[in-house]
Amino acid sequence: MPADNRISDEALVSAMAAGDQDALATLNQRYGLALSAVADRILRDKADAEEVAADVLWQLWREASRFDRGRGSVGAWIMMTVRSRAIDRLRARKAREPRVGDPVEHITAEDPSNEIHSSEQRRKVEGALATLNDGERDLLRLAYFSDLSQSEIAERTSLPLGTVKSRMRSGLIRLRDALQGSIE
Amino acid sequence: MDHAEIKDLIPLKALSRLDGDEASAVDEHLAAGCDECERELASLTEALAAMAIVESGGDGPSDRIWSRLQARLDADRPPQRIEYRTVREPSRGRGFAMLASAAVAAVVAIAVSMVFFNSRMRTDSSDVSNEIAALTARVIEVQRNLDTTGNQLAALEAKVAQTTDLTLASLGPDSQVVRLAGLPASPSATGSVALNRTEGTAMLEVSGLPPTPDDKVYEVWWIGEKQGPLKAGLFEPSSHGATIVSLDLPPPGEVVLASAITLEPSSGVEKPTGAMYLKGDFPRR
Repeated sequence: MPADNRISDEALVSAMAAGDQDALATLNQRYGLALSAVADRILRDKADAEEVAADVLWQLWREASRFDRGRGSVGAWIMMTVRSRAIDRLRARKAREPRVGDPVEHITAEDPSNEIHSSEQRRKVEGALATLNDGERDLLRLAYFSDLSQSEIAERTSLPLGTVKSRMRSGLIRLRDALQGSIE
Repeated sequence: MDHAEIKDLIPLKALSRLDGDEASAVDEHLAAGCDECERELASLTEALAAMAIVESGGDGPSDRIWSRLQARLDADRPPQRIEYRTVREPSRGRGFAMLASAAVAAVVAIAVSMVFFNSRMRTDSSDVSNEIAALTARVIEVQRNLDTTGNQLAALEAKVAQTTDLTLASLGPDSQVVRLAGLPASPSATGSVALNRTEGTAMLEVSGLPPTPDDKVYEVWWIGEKQGPLKAGLFEPSSHGATIVSLDLPPPGEVVLASAITLEPSSGVEKPTGAMYLKGDFPRR
């Protein structure tokens, strides 16, 4: 599989639209681990997570010619789609199986799988995350990596619902503002 | 809810944490075309995606995901195009297939656009996902059917084009046409060769030849007055009906005395080595 990091994600999607399988392989090189890791943190099942990750890249492959750049970057689309698909799968699983535990309980800032790779982009994101206070950061993690409603998050964190909303809002805006100009 | 109140909810929209009336109000506001809120949502989504990549433990390749994708790519190969084996592929004959693909692409674009538009008006993402999945499956099925039909139409177009070329090669004032007769290796085989040097066209039409073994191919020859046998092309016979192939022209100035077909190794040879199946003599001018 090729490893050309000089080609933009958008150019890779254009190549995929023309049937270039190497472009798909390159996107997997860039996002494969992140996709499966996000799905795994939501699903707590590596096989399911890999399937979801493959589903997302497959969807992009099949719909590459119709990818709408106006709706955001390829990376953002990929990461939001994997979360959405993982949550859908989690809900389907919950509907089929008795509830035996909540995957959110495993999510902590010290998660051993949370090893940070060294790169300029990663350092910028880390720096941006550092501008958040602990409460905002934890709530963002909880909101992104779980299927909990706002009320359930409030219950889990023992915070008033209004506080949960305001901290999620302020945390995300602060993260965005800190990253502004540094995201491809 | 006014614009400011809606904009205040966009971060929660980015986190998919809106329910009920709030979700509906934001979706309707975005569907109405508020660029400022669209940009706000896009920028917050980008920030969340960046956080997710870092928080998830890394960007990098996944061989296991690639294995899954490779299996899907292998299973998704389009059906083999129906083709006649010819020495020179005709440039025509892809119009209908391209038209069919374009039609499917348009249908897909419209359908997906409709689903996305509808999705803006809903709050249940699983319903939207199911709808997209069902629609995608239907589109794939339709596309496969159209691909098959397009391929068949392309093959028919190619055959019509070849027949037209054969006719043109046969009817020109400078045309030379010779009938090929089956030899002992294939006595029931028949064929004809049309050569029109003015138009630069040479065609072969043949039927009744047995299928070739896996490692063999039929080779067509011009028998030149000065240079002897000169290769004109390779072909495998069609399993249904006559085979029509275009041939390489004989060299300028060479007087062609005859044309013949032999069975040769699959890559072809420079001079005939195998059994002769058909032969016909050109009339002397």
